[in-house]
Amino acid sequence: MIKIPPYLQKGDTIGLVCPAGSMPVERISECIRVLNEDWGFTTKVGTTIGQQYHYFSGTDEERIEDFQHMLDDGNVKAILCARGGYGLSRIIDKIDFTNFKENPKWIIGFSDVTILHSHIYRNYNISTLHAPMANAFNEDGFKNEYVHSLRHALEGKKIKHQCKQHEFNKKGEGIGELVGGNLSLLAHLVGTDSDLKTKGRILFIEDIGEYLYNIDRMMYQLKRSDKLDKLAGLIVGGFTDMKDTESPFGQTVYEIIHDAVAEYDYPVCFDFPVSHGKENYALKIGVGYKLKVGKNKVTLEE
Amino acid sequence: MKRKNFIQSSIGALTASYLPALPKFSTDEDETLFVSPAFLKTGDIIGITAPAGYITTMEIQSAVQKMESWGYKIKIGDTIDKRDFTFGGTDDERTKDLQQMLDDPRIKAIMCARGGYGAVRIIDKLNWEKFKAKPKWIIGFSDVTVFHSHLNKNFGIASIHSKMCNSFPDDWSLAEPIQIETIDSIQLALSGKKMQYTVVPNLQNKLGVADGVLIGGNLKMLETLAGTKSDINTAGKILFVEDTGEYMYNVDRMFWNLKRTGKLSQLKGLIIGGFKIKVDEDSDDFGRTLQDVVLEKIKAYHYPVCFDFPVGHQKNNYALKCGVKHKLEVKPDSVSLKEI
Repeated sequence: MIKIPPYLQKGDTIGLVCPAGSMPVERISECIRVLNEDWGFTTKVGTTIGQQYHYFSGTDEERIEDFQHMLDDGNVKAILCARGGYGLSRIIDKIDFTNFKENPKWIIGFSDVTILHSHIYRNYNISTLHAPMANAFNEDGFKNEYVHSLRHALEGKKIKHQCKQHEFNKKGEGIGELVGGNLSLLAHLVGTDSDLKTKGRILFIEDIGEYLYNIDRMMYQLKRSDKLDKLAGLIVGGFTDMKDTESPFGQTVYEIIHDAVAEYDYPVCFDFPVSHGKENYALKIGVGYKLKVGKNKVTLEE
Repeated sequence: MKRKNFIQSSIGALTASYLPALPKFSTDEDETLFVSPAFLKTGDIIGITAPAGYITTMEIQSAVQKMESWGYKIKIGDTIDKRDFTFGGTDDERTKDLQQMLDDPRIKAIMCARGGYGAVRIIDKLNWEKFKAKPKWIIGFSDVTVFHSHLNKNFGIASIHSKMCNSFPDDWSLAEPIQIETIDSIQLALSGKKMQYTVVPNLQNKLGVADGVLIGGNLKMLETLAGTKSDINTAGKILFVEDTGEYMYNVDRMFWNLKRTGKLSQLKGLIIGGFKIKVDEDSDDFGRTLQDVVLEKIKAYHYPVCFDFPVGHQKNNYALKCGVKHKLEVKPDSVSLKEI
């Protein structure tokens, strides 16, 4: 049975860290303001916020230390990863989850943070939050329903998302624990200690900036590692800024994914609002959901 | 055991005159059987097929002529001149062409005309029964790593990692010596010569000597085969990797994948070939060199490591026999890899 970290009360502390790429403070300040002033939480700003070490927000040691500190601090009830980028692969095996296992807290983010979602679900069976990060609050983003869905999730409101029908959708109903994240990261984790368990589950995927042939290759990897055949359902999110080779691949990204799962009977929906774009609903990893793909609409309900 | 029995019985059934070309087998420490296909003799047929990207007859002319000059006959597969967007024909067409070559007993080696993307789309559609009973050389690199890895994992059958038709120069008079030498190394490998390579020492090499079966190929391909039935087992082996056109952060991530899938802990030796790193004007400095990226992953291990090995998406890309035992010697003033 999945363990659900305690939902947040007014005044609870959210820790902010950058476990991967670096992010200037001014890009995070709006997020901090909203968390404090609008949502009524308290924030604790980690040492990796606003720092930079080459590509990263700090050396491996600095990023581990900051994240570890937030994990172990009993006052911190949730950890919001301010951004993704690249870097969790480098530190995931050095993080000590002993205290976290005993006292779970919400870990929030997406993209590179998929590594944390997958690792924690596989090894500790604790729910995490795949949700917008600091940048989504900027330019009035905090007013939109997607950023709001993070607040609702943290406050313990049951999640129910709807989206429009898509021509490739496969109708049906599936019930299972929700798992998923960034496709490139999910593929990268296959065969490791953080590898995703998908059997009997609802899988969601999204990606950005990949070549179409590489999406195809990753779908083949998931398929050939038996991750697609026994799903309860598949949610295909946004695949933004796809790239093509000089000689075109000949299929759109949704056609590629549609073909990859054509032989299976479970419900599939496309263009679900989970993505690197603005449309990115908060989703609780590991929690049981019902996916209903109907004629006119799609619902995903906790 | 089945394969071993077959080989033994086939030895008995053949006449002595065929003996030099027989499949040979050897065992490594974990008693796995490794089979080397028969080496090629004058007049043997090499099939050319396009299991991934598309290519034209014109573009393989130079390779056809060169391989004919080596004394082999060439059979051009149906996928040459076929095109389905980026592919050398539809999945079915590419499968059928390669299947025919796998099954045709007159074809002794199959040269993949080029890489690109596509082998993984057809690998599970191929029937390997005849090939397993009578192995033949499969030749290529890059996307063809899928075949090298699959053959090694599932059948223990050797294959040749080398340049393909699209690397043979149109005008040999303009070719650099290294291009000619690396292409000629394919013939050396096919004809059964023991392969031997020397490499200019890199100051960051890790010294040592190792014996083991050589396996490897394109790093990205190895990562995307993880968890599948083509995923290589690296324990007790010498692993070589190369890649091109990837950002340094992604190369780093792929080496973490090797490490986290347990592929680096029980190696006998590690060979780093060419890595063409992609750099964007707006991409942040990764802060680590390729050597840093590799060495930090294997700090805890004590096997030899050499950098700058002449294998990869580059002119100095020599033929390597995957699935065959080699000795890697990394010394301060010399580095060599020898087939044993």
